[in-house]
Amino acid sequence: MADFNKEHLLKELPVIEQNETKGQHYWKSLKQFYNDPSSIEAKAHEFMEGVVDDFKLSSLTDMSRRKFLALLTASASFAAAGCSTYESKGEVIPYNKEPVGVIPGVPNYYASTCTGCSNACGILVTTREGRPIKINGNDEHPVNKGKICARGQASILNLYDPERLREPMKKDGSSFKNVSWQIADAAVISALRSAASGGKEIAVVMKTLNSPTAKKVFDDLAARYKTVKLYSYELFTDANRDSAWKKSYGRGKFPLIAWDKAKLIVSLESDFLGNEGNTVEQTRLYVSTRNNKELKNFSRLVVFEAGMSLTGMNADLRLRLAPELQYDLVMSLLNEFVVKRQTSRYALDRNVVNALQGYSIGKFAQTSGIDPKSIESIVSYMARYKNASIVYAGDRLPEQVHIAVNLLNEVLGSTALYRKDRLRAEMLPYSTKEEWEALVTRMNSGKVGVVVHCDSNPVYHLPSGYGYSSALQKVPTVVTLDQSASETSVVSQWVLPINHDLESWNDFKTRTGFYSLQQPVIYPLYVTRQKEAILLTWATGKESAYNDDLYHGYLMSRWEKEIYPSMKLAVGFKEFWYSALHDGIVNFDEKPESHDGFNAEAFVSTRSSMKAGGYTVALSESYFVGDGGFANNGWLQELPHPVTKVVWDNYAAVSPTTAKELNVDFNDLVEVEVRGNKLKLPTLVQPGMADKVVAIELGYGRTNAGTVGNDVGFNANVLQDANGSFTQWILPGAKVSKTGGTFELVATMEHHMIDDSLVKDMQFNRGIIREGTVEEYQSDPDFIQKEREDSKPTSIYKDFEYNGVKWAMAIDLNKCTGCSACVISCNVENNIPVVGKDQVKVSREMQWIRIDRYYSGTPVEPRISLQPMLCQQCDDAPCENVCPVAATSHSPDGLNMMVYNRCIGTRYCSNNCPFEVRRFNFFNFRHHYEDSYYLEQPAPMVSNPEVTVRTRGVMEKCTFCVQRLVQAKQDALQEGKEFTGSGVVVACQEACPANAITFGNANDPGSGVAKLREHELGYYVLEQLDTKPNVTYLAKLRNI
Amino acid sequence: MNRTLLEYTLRVRVPILIFVALASLTVTYYVSRPAREGIGYQPTQPIPFSHKLHAGLMKIDCAYCHIGVYRSRYAAIPAASTCMNCHTIAKKTSPYIIKLTKYYDESKPIPWKRVHRLPDYVYFSHSFHVNAGIKCQSCHGNVQDMAVVKQVSSFTMSACLDCHRNAPKRLSYIPNIKPGPTYCVACHR
Repeated sequence: MADFNKEHLLKELPVIEQNETKGQHYWKSLKQFYNDPSSIEAKAHEFMEGVVDDFKLSSLTDMSRRKFLALLTASASFAAAGCSTYESKGEVIPYNKEPVGVIPGVPNYYASTCTGCSNACGILVTTREGRPIKINGNDEHPVNKGKICARGQASILNLYDPERLREPMKKDGSSFKNVSWQIADAAVISALRSAASGGKEIAVVMKTLNSPTAKKVFDDLAARYKTVKLYSYELFTDANRDSAWKKSYGRGKFPLIAWDKAKLIVSLESDFLGNEGNTVEQTRLYVSTRNNKELKNFSRLVVFEAGMSLTGMNADLRLRLAPELQYDLVMSLLNEFVVKRQTSRYALDRNVVNALQGYSIGKFAQTSGIDPKSIESIVSYMARYKNASIVYAGDRLPEQVHIAVNLLNEVLGSTALYRKDRLRAEMLPYSTKEEWEALVTRMNSGKVGVVVHCDSNPVYHLPSGYGYSSALQKVPTVVTLDQSASETSVVSQWVLPINHDLESWNDFKTRTGFYSLQQPVIYPLYVTRQKEAILLTWATGKESAYNDDLYHGYLMSRWEKEIYPSMKLAVGFKEFWYSALHDGIVNFDEKPESHDGFNAEAFVSTRSSMKAGGYTVALSESYFVGDGGFANNGWLQELPHPVTKVVWDNYAAVSPTTAKELNVDFNDLVEVEVRGNKLKLPTLVQPGMADKVVAIELGYGRTNAGTVGNDVGFNANVLQDANGSFTQWILPGAKVSKTGGTFELVATMEHHMIDDSLVKDMQFNRGIIREGTVEEYQSDPDFIQKEREDSKPTSIYKDFEYNGVKWAMAIDLNKCTGCSACVISCNVENNIPVVGKDQVKVSREMQWIRIDRYYSGTPVEPRISLQPMLCQQCDDAPCENVCPVAATSHSPDGLNMMVYNRCIGTRYCSNNCPFEVRRFNFFNFRHHYEDSYYLEQPAPMVSNPEVTVRTRGVMEKCTFCVQRLVQAKQDALQEGKEFTGSGVVVACQEACPANAITFGNANDPGSGVAKLREHELGYYVLEQLDTKPNVTYLAKLRNI
Repeated sequence: MNRTLLEYTLRVRVPILIFVALASLTVTYYVSRPAREGIGYQPTQPIPFSHKLHAGLMKIDCAYCHIGVYRSRYAAIPAASTCMNCHTIAKKTSPYIIKLTKYYDESKPIPWKRVHRLPDYVYFSHSFHVNAGIKCQSCHGNVQDMAVVKQVSSFTMSACLDCHRNAPKRLSYIPNIKPGPTYCVACHR
């Protein structure tokens, strides 16, 4: 593809009228916006360059080890087939002893807890014949309420990762050799003993500790070995917000926010819908205020941010602001309310008033370049929605911003939105910068005898400034407990493999008032042990103390002795315990700790304005691979970034103006230097970013993650700096320079562009996205229907008759935030393969549902519209007419059926589909990706046995989870009921934290989907083609 | 009349040859069809379990062993533990029961030979059909009379469709039975 011509960046930016929702010119990428020749050309071709001409005979004839073995096996089996009778149908292998409660072909469900991140959401695991195949949210869980994020859903692939550690290992020179658990345990126990008796520290390094029983294990360990010290970290923490809270209110933690009661949300550099806090819960609560039936309570989301985040994408009003100016913003707002309007009792506090001198919104508008009118309108909203607005500062902002925000919330009466029913719980506070530095000093001076990395990867995660990895070499015994190899495990003497979540027992307490239980749903696949059981063995001091039931017994006895008696139940412990495991949740009475009133002194004493020259680097966590822990998960690496749609990489995102200033373009390598730490990575020009800011995601550039995750992206962890003038993650004063050379980023951004160049003048009327404002809807509820009237041709086909059930879907674009949980849910349910970066580059990604992201407005201030796009199951489907072998045809309940065993791969259907939702298996992708990585045992175990695994040369697409529809129909008829189609849930709908997707029987007037099909805001995509789609989109309303 | 050799070849030999070829193809096609479709397939099992004895004579319900048949897509082959429910006591000295006990004690599954098989891309549900009142015998034949189980009917798509289209005729013992679905995703997905 031709390089993006730089002249387009230098050109005067065309201004498109803002506030004009009608006739917006939507664009999917900057290239398209500037009518870049390559973009126009891309529109003319269905497949990108290289799709048809990269056929290399040599790549097919190369004899790899696997190909050789495959051929060998094939010829051997041919020979064997010749010897056996042609009639033979093989063997059918039953169980030896019938497991209780397992009927082959019938799924079982178990409640457990996800530990993919520190939120510990409740999950419901589907197992078939004893093997877990799908993770959904647990309905009973009070926080995530039946939903689970993309990472949690994809974590099932980690269980079956062929590269999981299978046996304990001991370092032997530069490599590792397998040893038995007895040898490993004995060696570690003796090292612990000698360290404890020699007065040397035993450092246990872990990530968030949120299990009370695990906490007790650590206490036991510390009781036996007196020198044990615990350290905990997380790549991104809300430590600044909590310490600000402690200073402001004396004690406690920052409360939970009642997002569902907010009418105005002002987010300051906070990605609360994307990756801060429990995003599943926050998304659910936030979208409950975006209900088009309750316009009175329709919230308004204002975002001040530097990068373009998922939250920013959803903002009604998004204002670009460099992170170091956030403090000035809060102070100016305080000045407006406290000093100028005097609407708060703090107006009488001389110290506060003095502190606010010198700030004003007028002045702020001038320094930040933000339109004063926008700020004034925000101030007027704040005044209007007193007690129902919330200002929320992001994790990455420093303490003084959070303290000022606490005061602002006091002044605005936003404390009414602080939830009083629950509070976040804490088992072990995160270690501070000082504690890490002290540890490293002691390690360097030989005062640390043993370091135990408990499911953590500090060599990769900790800021390089600590010098942790070099200090680790001075520690005589380093033990790492992990599921798979990591940067930390390779520098350890002992590497002990631990169980996956789905093989573990535990309890979790993330908030007051309930426990979430974890139970194994499968016996450990390898010779692994649960990490708590390993520590418990060490705590007893005898390697022989271990048995399979060690931690399970420990957990139960703690519950029996400590928790069960306090609940004063009429049932016996066993009954209580089994019902608790069944539910996955135990609720109990617990009042959250109260806090003191706001201490204005804290505000006055911590204020300091921030100034910075040069560029500001803003680090954030990857949306999907998290802190890098999911790097070896192909589904997550291949899930397009919610904003940029880039897969398999991170990059330096800069605004178009900054790109011009740096003279860089897409893919150009730049070097970012912050206080001596350097990193070279490619550029991505991101519309809507603040100027002079470089946004980089962490979690990439791992070197020891495994075949999938190694060397994907660039390790920006090295840029973290705990001694920076701002915070560890936002680093002003950076130097950025173009280094020459390029690195190709691959995005699905320009892929599947809905072809509109042929009818260029009509593009405003294509009606792919329709949207309006709340005001518009209030004054004319039929405004969408009036738009639709223009695009209704008459059909030449006879209408299809649907007697009985007719399946249909409705997607509320008001609710979709673009979180992509639906995409992963679909991947897991429908056996979607990983194709790899090289294949995504030529548009061969296989996901059946994608989230289209359209920009409108200008590259400087873009607005974003999102649209989940999947097979529209048209009544008059263009794909069906062109299939020469009738492999895709129409079912009586309205599905466009796709019969894989009939498909011969002509791809006519895909060429004829205006929605571009069909996917073709150009290869047997499981075989093609990384030399059959996902065919190595036990990876194929993750497949859903109800869905065919498609092979090379077969077309596929969304079928509305037909396996679930058929099953539901059979179940109903089998029970002698009439099948009405109610209660059927499809995978994307099941996963959507926002409940944006409704699915059901359109012929049943009482069903939700039938009502939404008649909704005033409902429309179909590309209606003028008259394919009669069955996916209704409800137009997005912006609350401007 | 003088016939040339060419004329003779064209008029007589070629048509006869074509006829013989077509006729033998047709005959072979139809004669070998049951064998091709597996009808009559009767493999020797590792343990000569007799359905005639268990299901016929002793009238043990099919679902006692095939536990999934009312509840799941799969009828399921019984676990060795199901056999051992009786055979820990019954006929302990028979050499085959000794063989069975050995499998059971060694925790090894019994490698039964598969008799009936549908392709992987067919999602047939036993529970749905059996709960609709269709007898096992309608597809599997009179298993209760078979000492060694063999396939008696065809398990091809045309055989499925024949019954789905003509259910009232084929399954006349079920009152008011409706024809089955004939669209693709009823069986393929």
